[in-house]
Amino acid sequence: MRKYSAIILISILFILLLSGCKKEVENRISIAEQYGLAYAPLQIMKAKGFLEKNLPGIEVNWEQLGNTAAIREAMLAGKLDIGFMAIPPFLIAWDKGMKWKIISGLSISPLGLVTYRDDIKSIRDFSPEDRIALPQPGSIQHILLSMACEREFSNPRKLDDLLVTMAHPDGMNALLSRKEITAHFTSPPYIFKELKDGKMHQILSGKEAMGKEFTFIVGAATEKFYDNNPRVYKAFVSSLREAIDFINDHPEEAAAILATEYNLPEEEVLKYITWPGMKYTPVIKGLDEFAHFLKKNNYISKIYASREEVIWEDVKDEK
Amino acid sequence: MLKMKNNYFQRLFWILVIAGIWKAISLSGLFSPLIFPSPETVLKSFYLSLLNGELIRQTIISLSLILRGLIISLIIALILSLLAISSKTFAGMVETLLAIAHPLPGIALMPLVLIWFGAGTKAIIFIIVHSVLWPLVLNLLTGFRAIPEIYRLVGENYGLNSLKIMWYIMTPASLPYFLAGIKIGWARAWRALISAEMLFGAAGGIGGLGWYIFKKRVFFDIPGVFAGLIVIVIIGVLVEDLLFNKVEDITVKRWGMQI
Repeated sequence: MRKYSAIILISILFILLLSGCKKEVENRISIAEQYGLAYAPLQIMKAKGFLEKNLPGIEVNWEQLGNTAAIREAMLAGKLDIGFMAIPPFLIAWDKGMKWKIISGLSISPLGLVTYRDDIKSIRDFSPEDRIALPQPGSIQHILLSMACEREFSNPRKLDDLLVTMAHPDGMNALLSRKEITAHFTSPPYIFKELKDGKMHQILSGKEAMGKEFTFIVGAATEKFYDNNPRVYKAFVSSLREAIDFINDHPEEAAAILATEYNLPEEEVLKYITWPGMKYTPVIKGLDEFAHFLKKNNYISKIYASREEVIWEDVKDEK
Repeated sequence: MLKMKNNYFQRLFWILVIAGIWKAISLSGLFSPLIFPSPETVLKSFYLSLLNGELIRQTIISLSLILRGLIISLIIALILSLLAISSKTFAGMVETLLAIAHPLPGIALMPLVLIWFGAGTKAIIFIIVHSVLWPLVLNLLTGFRAIPEIYRLVGENYGLNSLKIMWYIMTPASLPYFLAGIKIGWARAWRALISAEMLFGAAGGIGGLGWYIFKKRVFFDIPGVFAGLIVIVIIGVLVEDLLFNKVEDITVKRWGMQI
């Protein structure tokens, strides 16, 4: 009998443990970003304390995670309220039933496929032995490459067998060592560093792949956060605008702040954030194009009927 | 025979209990179905992946990698441990190697392995060998050293040379340790393999089970992640229950060395 009561006791403890939900705190926000120049407005927002200024007493928790999948999982688990990532990973999770919407665009950025091999001039020149490094299947880099493949070969999955999954820093090191991989699809600052090598050249840009300019990084908020914390949400949106405006209006000052954050020389950061094609703007571009491409190639199963299904209200948005 | 059936019955019973609890939790609505999919959706995803052949293909890739890794480790471990028991100098070397390498997790070596071998089959096999080799050597050495001196003396009395003593006396006498080493090695290799595959990604479309799980993760297909885990569990149970137990039954148990 003692044995059974022990079993029951353990089960009860287990259930209590599982149901030990944390209490909602009105004045707290957890934000996730990734590493890279595309996230610069968030660094500015953090360093200048815009959110704290707009909403005194707020407790802000910044997380820097290594990849989009980790951000989505943490948001799903309720550990994060707002996450920043590219449009395709956002849409993939939205399609699977994740309750979240886009708050704002963050940046438009040069992305590109870089190689050291002189004989490779376009994506047509890859042989089956070549390897292309990019962050992960379903990442914006992968989707852009698929778009280019669809245009060139009428087969979006043509180069899928050449892909190697590597985080940006690893991919850059692998490319610079000229051993394992032939080409690397990446974003700033890695793409700038690679092209600085001199013997590297870009064979495909994100804009060429997509056929037009598109937003690289967007911010998304969970439905739970949006519904429960309207005040914090509003403060976040205005702080984000403020940070974006700050970079655009005072690039030198912004570069000085970012230089310490990224551990790079100030002039270099300034060059990077004012690079042609590097834009900080809340406008969302290219959402529909991504959605249609993903749907057409079965990466997602449905398309939103109206953009309100994927974007919170009060967002500047451009078709 | 009856006992064995009883074992299987027990296994089945507990699996059903676990599935029941799982279903109950998913029905309770405590968690979003995205975090905790119901057992049916997982089974459906498992079934669909089986049907389109992807799960089987990736499993075969993983198993072939692990097999290659195990065979290489086995050969190196035998050589190292035989050297170590036959000479004091080598014993010192092997023990030093053990002290250095045994506590190093394979995953910690990953950055170096990437530079040395690149992200490919070779790198994964290296990680597997590293994970299996050291526990195997350790167990083999313990096994050899646990053999009473008198066994060897009896062999010498029969006029066996040292090779024959190794083959006819030392090897069977150390078999229980050897099998224990293989078991630990297998478990460690399996873990190392899955983690390495998840980190390295697929080269040339070949990725293995770890890659399968990773891909399901990046496409936010949580039932698919569970399906990959189920395969890992099934293989683990099959190898443990069928392979290792069978080998033990026909060797060490039959010889009365182990109960």
